[in-house]
Amino acid sequence: MMGNTACAEGAIAAGCEFAAGYPITPATEIATRLAERLPRVGGVFLQMEDEISSIAAIIGASWTGKKVMTATSGPGISLMLENIGFAIGVETPCVIVNVQRGAPTTGMPTAGVCGDMVQPRRGSHGDYEIIALCPASPQEMFEHTLLAFNFAEKYRTPVFVLSDAFVGHMREEVLIPEPGKIPIAHRKIPAVGMDPQKVQGFLDENVAPMPIFGKGFRSHVTSSCHDEYGKRNLSDLAALDNFVRKLCNKILSHKRDIVMVEGDYEGAEVVLVSYGAVSRAARMAADRAREEGLPVGTLRLITPWPFPGEEVGEMAKKAKKVIVLENNLGQLYPFIKAEAAHYSEVFFLPPRVIGEIHDPENILKQIREVLK
Amino acid sequence: MAGIRLYEELCKGVEECGICVEMCPKKLFKPSGNLNRKGYRPPRLTDVAACTQCENCMIFCPDLAIAVAEKRGRRKVKR
Amino acid sequence: MTEIVHPLHRFIRPHVTSTTNCPGCGNGIAAQAILRAIDELGMTLDDFVFVTGIGCSAWIPSPFFDVDVLHTTHGRPIAFALGIKMGLPEKKVVVTSGDGDLAAIGGNHLIHNARRNIEMTVICLNNRIYGMTGGQAAPTTPLGLKTATTPYGTFENPFDISELVIAAGATFVARWTTYHPRQLTAWIKKAIQKKGFSFIEVITQCPVQYGRKTGSGSAVEMLREYKERSISVKEAAGLPKEKIQGRIVVGELVDKEAPEMLEEINRMRKRASGEKT
Repeated sequence: MMGNTACAEGAIAAGCEFAAGYPITPATEIATRLAERLPRVGGVFLQMEDEISSIAAIIGASWTGKKVMTATSGPGISLMLENIGFAIGVETPCVIVNVQRGAPTTGMPTAGVCGDMVQPRRGSHGDYEIIALCPASPQEMFEHTLLAFNFAEKYRTPVFVLSDAFVGHMREEVLIPEPGKIPIAHRKIPAVGMDPQKVQGFLDENVAPMPIFGKGFRSHVTSSCHDEYGKRNLSDLAALDNFVRKLCNKILSHKRDIVMVEGDYEGAEVVLVSYGAVSRAARMAADRAREEGLPVGTLRLITPWPFPGEEVGEMAKKAKKVIVLENNLGQLYPFIKAEAAHYSEVFFLPPRVIGEIHDPENILKQIREVLK
Repeated sequence: MAGIRLYEELCKGVEECGICVEMCPKKLFKPSGNLNRKGYRPPRLTDVAACTQCENCMIFCPDLAIAVAEKRGRRKVKR
Repeated sequence: MTEIVHPLHRFIRPHVTSTTNCPGCGNGIAAQAILRAIDELGMTLDDFVFVTGIGCSAWIPSPFFDVDVLHTTHGRPIAFALGIKMGLPEKKVVVTSGDGDLAAIGGNHLIHNARRNIEMTVICLNNRIYGMTGGQAAPTTPLGLKTATTPYGTFENPFDISELVIAAGATFVARWTTYHPRQLTAWIKKAIQKKGFSFIEVITQCPVQYGRKTGSGSAVEMLREYKERSISVKEAAGLPKEKIQGRIVVGELVDKEAPEMLEEINRMRKRASGEKT
């Protein structure tokens, strides 16, 4: 199954009922699969007039209680960022898949460049936190999309799935568990019948119940700075401070539950840090290095956001040299270095040309170089 | 004030707004002698008896600050 | 004698003590017309979800009405509203927004949803200016008018928003001014009951950013101007185009039938499951 197809299947397995999107290479297969599958399970895929209305429509549908998703590539995310900020600000669960491609601008639509790694974290204006997952295979396209829905529901936030043209178009075996065996999370909603004036539907670090529409909560959901009741406040800086901090702490205080890394660096002096498609090359290079008796390990970042700083630090304490491998000019590298440089020497290795996955032989060369 | 209620604290003033003064077909609203808490001057109704309860003042007030009593025997709700 | 209570105050959100409108703002007249329409239809606000964008008219239901309301980003309320209607098809979804929000930055969503004929009501408060940000020219500002960003007068032709929406395929379009609150109420009732994309354009006075800033007059003067310039659809039909120039054609512009999007989606679902439609 193609990675993009597996992504759509992951959404359906998670209970996605509504998806909207706009055609864009290399993500279009997700849209076509959802367009085909959703109507048969009582849902619908809408092709909207642009990416801006795609993200807007899914946010609107999420406020009616539906699980929702959109899929696009870098240029589409750029268009969506204002409304993604809206989803964050009013705490709306939704899944956003970015099948990354050669950039900037129109770039090279079929090149699997991971050039949008910091975009979820800093692309929208203001201080905020975000959750993002980085699948490295079609199997993970399925699993991480499912996980993204669950995180979105649990933390009332947009969740990114950062794929790329390689992983999106790659075909591998995908095992899909039986429906009953899939863990599904649902957002909390306030008790129906509660006095609307008493509903506190926002700004709780432990996630406020979502006062969805149509249940008599008479919810005031506003993009303006607001308080726990959704009441707009445009004058008190204390209100703005509360708004920003609570939204960030909602994610940061639950890092233990969210952050996922895959570490295999027991006894390693050199650790290869990577994510996504490049982690496959890192894995292969580490295996070959070990065959040669070199003390090499790997650390794969599954959730680049919230940034797994502690996990990177823990690894760096045990290693001597850290080589960061990214299919870009170093997007997560500064964040990794900031945590790891206290304890290890940190290097950055791009592929021979941007857009190619690293040749394991070149990685080995770099490993031997740093071990000298 | 038998047929009309003025919510003085909601009013935005005869000088700045003054729509009720304009819209009353009998010209029954004049500036009152006082200012409300926000500093706006509400109107006052001069001749209660001359009011025909046409409801113009109520319907045109942007601040919903004027209420007109329901006319007796009149049709309640239009569909 | 029982105390007189404004019949529409019960629709106001409890913690809201007054409107945020400038004195004499036409949006207040329109807000009342909307509430009166809902009341006269025998409906409650729980039958509705309101969606708004950014601008003064976005504040008509937010926070004023005691209702589910989504106050969104500039230009996008109709796109959000589409998603809400998909999830709550039995609720009446109403968008209240301004001419800048709906026809400038939001123009694309306006025409596409008119085209889709999705069942929703869009009320466009057209004050021909960007009021909230201090009186900048809008795509509806008359040619030659001096505004904050066109200090020597505008140099662009303005839109006729209703014509735009009609061309895009909306099945119910009407235009009134804030001088006509009773008619406005009646046509909002019709729009709410229309099974399709209904659009009400309300020419409304902005006494501060339009009236005072451009020298066009007070709230009362602007209302008088609407009265003078208004001409019914019937009258306008009998006149040559030059005679209608500068007039405001009020009344029902279009009421027709066309396939409605939610019904088409249901048909599509049947086709998807192999049923005959």
